[in-house]
Amino acid sequence: MEKQPGRKQERVPLPGLLGAVRSIGEAMADQLSVIGGNMFGRLGLAGLALFFMLAVFAPYVAPYGPYEETFHPDGELAYLEPPSLGHPFGTTMMGRDVLSQLIWGTQRTLVIAVAAAFGAAFVGTNVGLIAGYYGGAIDTALMRLTDIAYGIPFIPFAMIAIMMLGRGDRILIIVISSILWRTTSRVIRSQVLTLKERPFVAAAKSMGASSARIIYRHIAPNVLPLSFLYTLIIAGDAVLVEASLSFLGLGNPNTISWGQVLFYCFSSQRMRTAWWWSLFPGMAIVVLVLSAFFIGRSYEEIINPRLREW
Amino acid sequence: MELRIFIVKRMLLLLLTLFVLATLVFIMFRVMPGNPASLVVSPALELEAREALLHQFGLDKPIHVQYWLYIKNLVRGDMGHSFRYRRPVVEVLRPRFMNTVVLIGPATLFALILGVLIGALTASRRAGKLDTIGTVTSLALKSLPTFWTSIMLLVLFAYRLKWVPAAGLRTPGYTFENALEKFLNLDFLHHLVLPLIILTLHFLAEPLLTMRNSMLEVQGEDFVQMARAKGIGERRVIYNHWVRNALLPVVSIVPMMVGHIIGGQVLVETVFSWPGLGREIVNAVNVHDYPLAQASFLMIATVVIGLNFLADITYAFLDPRVRLE
Amino acid sequence: MALLEVNDLRVYYKTRRELLRAVEGVSFQVEEGQNVGLIGESGCGKTTVVKSILRLLPRSARVEGQVSFQGRDLLTLKRPELDKIRGKQIALVPQSAMDALDPVLRIGDQIVEAIQAHEETAGRTAREKVAGLFDLVGLDSKRLNHYPHQFSGGMRQRAIIAMSLALTPKLIVADEATTGLDVLVQDQVLHEIEDIHRRFNISVLFVTHDIGIVAETCQRIAVMYAGKIAEYADARSLFEEPYHPYTLGLMNAYPSVRGPKHELISIPGSPPDLVDPPSGCRFTPRCPFACEICQQEEPELVETGRDNWAACHRVGEIDQLRTKAGKALTWKRMAMNQV
Repeated sequence: MEKQPGRKQERVPLPGLLGAVRSIGEAMADQLSVIGGNMFGRLGLAGLALFFMLAVFAPYVAPYGPYEETFHPDGELAYLEPPSLGHPFGTTMMGRDVLSQLIWGTQRTLVIAVAAAFGAAFVGTNVGLIAGYYGGAIDTALMRLTDIAYGIPFIPFAMIAIMMLGRGDRILIIVISSILWRTTSRVIRSQVLTLKERPFVAAAKSMGASSARIIYRHIAPNVLPLSFLYTLIIAGDAVLVEASLSFLGLGNPNTISWGQVLFYCFSSQRMRTAWWWSLFPGMAIVVLVLSAFFIGRSYEEIINPRLREW
Repeated sequence: MELRIFIVKRMLLLLLTLFVLATLVFIMFRVMPGNPASLVVSPALELEAREALLHQFGLDKPIHVQYWLYIKNLVRGDMGHSFRYRRPVVEVLRPRFMNTVVLIGPATLFALILGVLIGALTASRRAGKLDTIGTVTSLALKSLPTFWTSIMLLVLFAYRLKWVPAAGLRTPGYTFENALEKFLNLDFLHHLVLPLIILTLHFLAEPLLTMRNSMLEVQGEDFVQMARAKGIGERRVIYNHWVRNALLPVVSIVPMMVGHIIGGQVLVETVFSWPGLGREIVNAVNVHDYPLAQASFLMIATVVIGLNFLADITYAFLDPRVRLE
Repeated sequence: MALLEVNDLRVYYKTRRELLRAVEGVSFQVEEGQNVGLIGESGCGKTTVVKSILRLLPRSARVEGQVSFQGRDLLTLKRPELDKIRGKQIALVPQSAMDALDPVLRIGDQIVEAIQAHEETAGRTAREKVAGLFDLVGLDSKRLNHYPHQFSGGMRQRAIIAMSLALTPKLIVADEATTGLDVLVQDQVLHEIEDIHRRFNISVLFVTHDIGIVAETCQRIAVMYAGKIAEYADARSLFEEPYHPYTLGLMNAYPSVRGPKHELISIPGSPPDLVDPPSGCRFTPRCPFACEICQQEEPELVETGRDNWAACHRVGEIDQLRTKAGKALTWKRMAMNQV
């Protein structure tokens, strides 16, 4: 991994837990400024910010409730209406406003995606740190585990798991995290392998630092940027997975999410005529996921400048 | 010599993964709260039939005996009876398997080939515009939900424009003599076109981006320059050295790609009502037909793991450094 | 007519923000059967010179000037013509030869590839030739089917040297060909190159920072500093009567095994930034003899003997300066002035 020009290469930790939190915070802040310096990054951040705002302010922004049936002035149900001034994204077969459903659904979608991504990144980073640092039998065992995780096809597995364990957001988050940690672990592990050889690790060892301390206070802050990058990518994937699973009817029927809207649309078999019902939710998904991927991409160019020149 | 040892090692890993997977499935299915008997025996049967089946499956025995029976049956190819179809699971799945393969096989191949070609092209023209367009398009393709594009394109091309049929893999009433005829006819191909295009488009982004990045990285390597310095001609430099080395990372992502494609396959089959493994597992899961769901999953996973294995071997064949591992 | 004539070669690298003047007006010749050394610190541009000869520079490089091989300007040749010369007439032994082999192909095959690109040779004959070359450079000819990762660094270097001989070129350009090898292997490799030079009358252009190497093997030596030639003379004259302060400094930094013992003195400071080089002589900041004119005007090459040249304003006073240059104090004072 190439170094970022002009940046401190290794972070020297401050004493105590506060120091650890601070160095992590610093690393994060650094990344934000790095991302902002790039067109891709800026677009991505804008997209994420938009959806974040929508999620937080949903009750104030959405014209209707997610399950609210809307009516014409004359009392008739606004059933399968194409886009109009009153309903910019049209209505569903139950007379519900699609735009409102999307806005309300942002909460669920983001929560699940972010929680799953953090879960996966957390597990993956730890696996990578431990495997990379200790090497030997532990490394082999953990990497074989990762290989096995790679071998399991994700969506079918998720489907089976949900069939067994039931539906719901928590299940969804756990199921997604339980497979998507695999990419992070490999990537973090290779980073740790290079970092392990650096002088600052030898220095810490010679001062009698315990392995746990070296891993978490010295090495971890340096791999965090990469972790963060992958969290974003996983979050993007998680949105897609959640949408796909909901679409297949395995989502949480009690809450509204974008995939859930698409499920209703497909099951009603009205997609032929009610094109708005599927177009807009899909577009929302695309914009959100693309934002996450853009940020990831802005990172990549900086982390690997070799990609730019020769 | 090392290649042979490598193959053997990988084969062992393959078997281990399958074993672990089967065990995982076994555990998951026993974890379910409620009567474990309903896993294999449909509650719709009469009591004696149920008890007979329970006994046959050893569900009245301790768990480790059950596990042993489970593995034994699996190896013999017996995966139970479908609740819904009232037939052995293998019977139900056999035709589905073929239907899935004829879609996923070509899709993977086309996605790889197109992705590699375009990726190489984008990398060799370092003109900023083409490159940015290429990467943005790939990212955009990766962010599209497969089922959504399927729906959109289905509505557009099948319903609105009526260029392709709307569902299934053949027009009802079509007769055929054998497997070859079954798949090599115009009607089938007509049904195949749209799902195939959708799958290919969705999954060419990964090889494209990988190939592009890989080409750019290899370009700066010393041995590429050395090849030029030998005076062998630019074409040889590009194909024998540059591209050949750049392909390695692409091969290494094939396993991951296949895993994703299977997921996409499930969605596409659902939207297009394509009678393959994907649609079968969706239906099975929705009606809680446990034996069928379990078996579909295992079958899908085996396909993926098998392809992973092949990809690993191919990689080792292409890159001699890996064989020492 | 010289075998290789480099005339006023200028190379600029254009990056997003700036222009790097890597090589500014370098000229030298290599005659047939003659070894020439091009020495200088890392970053002085010698590798760039090497790469420009065979046109191996990246697209961001602008090359001007002339590089004539047997009378033909290599810089303007069409690609197919250039490819005929590459490998066959001029062979390259690059820096870090360890990485110069394609990792996924067998070593023997890579050499055969070079042979078959230039000659109509059957595979079997070519492989026999490769086996012979392996013997020549001291490699086990049974191992030509091995992959690069199965060879040690030194062995890979020798394989590259074997490859450079495959088509009996007229000129071998060896860029730091022995750097990174341990001394014993280095000695062996140099011996082999010398041997080849004598046997086949092949000219070798030795590009290196190691004076010791060129002292043993070269007839003429060019000293490069910050993209320009500082001194260019026949080997004997250069060692016995150097004219440029930089050369004087270099001599001090190397121990002499046979001559009188002297204190090892290094030249303080570091080479200038080639993006924005200082006006005047580029060596000024590190030169103990710099005077006013040195900061204002760049020195031209001045003839100091028969076909010996040095680019220094104070060439005339060299005798007095030479004694001073031999004293450690001169340089140490310089170091203190710089701080």
